[in-house]
Amino acid sequence: MSAPLSLSDLDLPRRNGELAFDAPWQSTVFALAAAVIEHAFGGDREPFRQQLIAAQPGRPYWESWTAALEALAQTLPDRPMP
Amino acid sequence: MSVRGYHPAPASPVEQRVAALEALLTERGLVPAGFIEEITRRYESEIGPMNGTKVVARAWVDPQYKQRLLADGTAAIAELGFGGPEGDHMVVVENTPGIHNVIVCTLCSCYPWPVLGLPPAWYKDPPYRARLVREPRTLLAEMGCPLPDDVEIRVWDSSAEVRYLVLPERPPGTEGMTEAELADLVTRDSMIGAARL
Repeated sequence: MSAPLSLSDLDLPRRNGELAFDAPWQSTVFALAAAVIEHAFGGDREPFRQQLIAAQPGRPYWESWTAALEALAQTLPDRPMP
Repeated sequence: MSVRGYHPAPASPVEQRVAALEALLTERGLVPAGFIEEITRRYESEIGPMNGTKVVARAWVDPQYKQRLLADGTAAIAELGFGGPEGDHMVVVENTPGIHNVIVCTLCSCYPWPVLGLPPAWYKDPPYRARLVREPRTLLAEMGCPLPDDVEIRVWDSSAEVRYLVLPERPPGTEGMTEAELADLVTRDSMIGAARL
């Protein structure tokens, strides 16, 4: 379907449940993880997922993403990827 | 318009950590200009359970589409224009009068983003992740989805490789409805398997 989104489409995610993000830092960390997966790991999500599993116990959801991304950033090479 | 970067109150520690990550990763050349804004916009307005409702409604009205959907979920979902991160190996599981499917991610919170958006809070909670495997009938009943004893419950554990989507049963009495009207009946929770229609 290529029809433009209608107002009711935009309303649906809210009608169906919680908003995706509660604060701007949450969408930022989500997007940063997507950027690293895409641009540092060629789309391979497994390295991030392993860090997320390790980071999860006892942390609120988006804080576990922050901790996982911090840990993953430590594993990146020092120089920008070619 | 985005108000990112504007903090009227002092930033919390986690906000500071995320800002530091953003600076570090941008310096490494991993975050193209506008990337964060674009991802946020897409997940707040374009990507969500309304995508899944269209897939389900199409499967209800078009038996050939339903066949393709059950045979190759990723390809059939892409026919409607949905795909991308976290949706590259989609498996659709069909509810029948005797079988109820429900999805979980026991290890983290894998979820079929392109068709359901981001997961609800309870999906990410350890109690749901643990109890759905151990005592699915009890948990589903507590969540408002009691199932008769003769209905088999199948629990699908998502992984980095495979994401599941539940195809709920079409409710009785909907024979005259259009595809768009049917899509409006479908709820997010029914596509997780935490509710029936």
